[in-house]
Amino acid sequence: MLTAFDALLFAVAVVILGAGLAQWSSRWLLGQEEVRKGSLTTLLRYFLGSRKILKRPLQGSAHVLVFWGVLLPALVALVSQFRPRLPGTLSNLVSLFLDLLGAATLCALAFILVRRCTKRQEAGPKRTVVPVLVLLGIVVTGFLAQGARLSILGAGFSWQSPVGALFSYVLPASPLLMQWMIRLHFFAVLFLLASLPFTFLRHLVAGSLNVYYKRQNPAGQLRSLIPRSNVPGAGRVSDFSWKQLLDAEACVSCGRCEENCPAAIAETPLSPRKVMQSLQAQMQGGFPLLEQSVSNDEIWSCTTCMACVEHCPVFAEPLDKIMEMRRYRVMGQGALPSEAKAAIRNLLLYKDVYGKGIARRTDWALNRGVPSRSEQTEVLLWVGCSGAFHPRYQETARAMVKILKAGGIRFAILGKEELCCGDPARRLGEESIFAEIAEENIRRIKSHGFEKIVALCPHCFNTLKNEYPSMGGNFAVVHATEYLADMIRLNRIALKYSLPARVALHDPCYLGRGNGIYRPLREIGKAIPGATLLELPRNKEKGFCCGGGGGRMWLHEKPGKRMNLLRAEEVVQSGAEVLGTACPYCLTMLEDGLKNLETGKAPKVMDLVEIVASSIR
Amino acid sequence: MNMKIIVCIKQLVHVYARTGMNPSERFLEPEDKIPMVNPFDEVALEMGLRVKESLGQGEVTLLTLGPIIAESEVRRCLGMGANRLVQIEADQGTDPWRKSFFLARAISEIGAGLILCGKESLDRRSGQVGAYVAHRLGLPFVSAVVSVTMNPGTGTVEAEKRAGRGVREIIKCSLPAVLSVDMGLEVRLPRFEDKQRALSAPFETRVYSEQGDPARTLVRTIFPPRPRPKKVFTPDSRLEAFERIQQLLMGSRVEKKGTMLTGTIETQVEGVVSFLKEHGLAGKKRE
Repeated sequence: MLTAFDALLFAVAVVILGAGLAQWSSRWLLGQEEVRKGSLTTLLRYFLGSRKILKRPLQGSAHVLVFWGVLLPALVALVSQFRPRLPGTLSNLVSLFLDLLGAATLCALAFILVRRCTKRQEAGPKRTVVPVLVLLGIVVTGFLAQGARLSILGAGFSWQSPVGALFSYVLPASPLLMQWMIRLHFFAVLFLLASLPFTFLRHLVAGSLNVYYKRQNPAGQLRSLIPRSNVPGAGRVSDFSWKQLLDAEACVSCGRCEENCPAAIAETPLSPRKVMQSLQAQMQGGFPLLEQSVSNDEIWSCTTCMACVEHCPVFAEPLDKIMEMRRYRVMGQGALPSEAKAAIRNLLLYKDVYGKGIARRTDWALNRGVPSRSEQTEVLLWVGCSGAFHPRYQETARAMVKILKAGGIRFAILGKEELCCGDPARRLGEESIFAEIAEENIRRIKSHGFEKIVALCPHCFNTLKNEYPSMGGNFAVVHATEYLADMIRLNRIALKYSLPARVALHDPCYLGRGNGIYRPLREIGKAIPGATLLELPRNKEKGFCCGGGGGRMWLHEKPGKRMNLLRAEEVVQSGAEVLGTACPYCLTMLEDGLKNLETGKAPKVMDLVEIVASSIR
Repeated sequence: MNMKIIVCIKQLVHVYARTGMNPSERFLEPEDKIPMVNPFDEVALEMGLRVKESLGQGEVTLLTLGPIIAESEVRRCLGMGANRLVQIEADQGTDPWRKSFFLARAISEIGAGLILCGKESLDRRSGQVGAYVAHRLGLPFVSAVVSVTMNPGTGTVEAEKRAGRGVREIIKCSLPAVLSVDMGLEVRLPRFEDKQRALSAPFETRVYSEQGDPARTLVRTIFPPRPRPKKVFTPDSRLEAFERIQQLLMGSRVEKKGTMLTGTIETQVEGVVSFLKEHGLAGKKRE
């Protein structure tokens, strides 16, 4: 039991821990102000579910075991200081549980230690070996103490403590040994506690805090500009908000973002992990300009596909930082890559990224009886620039009109009053042009009294659904695939004609990871008569970006491989005959990619809307 | 010496489509036109800003003749880095000679070491105003300039100009001078801070009520080009009947003749080369 000296030592450890944490938190609390509500339920669910970490089953379960294997015995030890009165069986059961948990933790720690020592990557987690060794020491000394105790008692095998009993067979019945082990065990715990803010184990606090303050809105929603005097975005580390800095602190460099980042896979200079790590490094050494550590090529390689956000086990968001840096470089310095300047100019003058102009916005619908607003209109079909101007996607827009008409839906288009939704400007970092266009759009939608909007393009969908509400545009927005899946479910359209083909699905980032829409795509696929649905190896949350998002459509492919080629290879290897997707960028990029591969019979890329239309014709 | 640079910018209404049905309105709908600043003049402004930056000092004044019809674009130009905007209100009409009268008067009032303007305007394309301004002020004039080097010590400027067929001329002349600028430089985007500043910047207005010189040209009529005869579209016989009919239904889509090359860059290049060889355009040495 604790002596006064022990209590003093414990207090010292806690003070060191507190001081260390205070010093550490002063680092990220320097960030700009931001209002964030924490959620205890999120944190509890995160700990109990451990869903994120278990996405890598082996390493994940080792991590979960170590977490609980350290936390639960520590709690029991803490509680037992107050000598609670427990019925015999219960205390025996607790003892058995802790014993088995300890054994499992031992294995998990050994596994982690081996991994840390053998798989030494340059960018991997740092300062991990000592904490793991100390943890290992704690568990081992715990068992040795238990073994020695059982050996002194001479009870032989006891079911309450099977692993401890095994130790007792080889240990002498020496009270001195037991005392030493208990001391060692205790000191190791104190050491771990006191050193926590200074080692890798800091992620216990940083990660938990980051999960507690996790964002509660869809990943597709970009944060609004931090209102500050003149500087938009982040030119220095100190321009980030405290939550963004906490994000960077929570990063343990586990590399899950990098493994899933299309830009990293395509060997561009960008790695989300590297971005986070260099932010972390910058926070420790003054606040130099971010340009010195994060290059332009890195920032502009990002497709804003949200894979890094999706796969981060502690909900850190590298994308958020990249966007903030884009904003600074574009709005603060006027340093937009020259090839994208034309798109931004077009957006300003013609209100669309293709530079065709409002006058030509309804050309795709010419003589096709596409209704405009009337009394009975239920839904607004948001066509988007691609649907209105891109020759390939115009076909999809027409297909959508056909389906809506077949289903007897009373819909309308805004026609010449529709402007670009603003997504390209926003993802390219031009926040002020986005705001201008978005406000105008909201005003126009409201003036016509539309409440329900069906968006054809996932990027428009995301912008209308997630980003307009903060500017006063609250509309019920659904994506075309959601709407079609509903129509099929409600039997509003009959799919008669079969499509005898193997149909693979490509999840658009802004539907899937951005807004969690995976099911409707599959429902539609299943409803097509004759079609066999295929999943590509990288699907749903792991879906690979086509390379067209985040303004990449208007930027040159400079360094690295081409993402659309990588994805196209995957599609060809899957043996699909038709590739179904639901996004104009994916459609264009993958069509190009498949053409470039020059395989004998390339799969045909179709929007799911087109597939449905071909089935009702 | 403080280098004063004047950049003349023309505001114009750019007609990019004719979707109207009414001949009396020249087949124009309101959304067929967008007010903007002449792109050549934007390049001239960019050149002026670069000169200012290379000298490390100076003042860039925007000068525009006539009412402000493209305010947001003019403010954007201010946001690019110009110091102020002077607007001339006068009855200038459309004649270049008359316009140059008012511009020259304003320039001589403001005073300038370098006067830049676009080579021509997007709507009328007379390309004369700059030259007339130089004539009236008695200054040297270089047209179609793509880059300049200032020599403030000797009071001269070296201007590189396009002389057609890819030929470039470098012309040295004394300052002050009038340069008309051709496309070429990449126009910058305004920074957010400057854009905000430009939003509330005052315009300096000068009202010239005199008649000025009489117009030397007279616009008789303006008429849109006769529409090109529509080609009857022949559907691609390789396509399925459904797609052919759909193509026909799509109506007036004019397809360009020729074949589209697909595949990787290498195979596309091969395609181009074999096309050239086939048609005897390359491959053989010319006699």
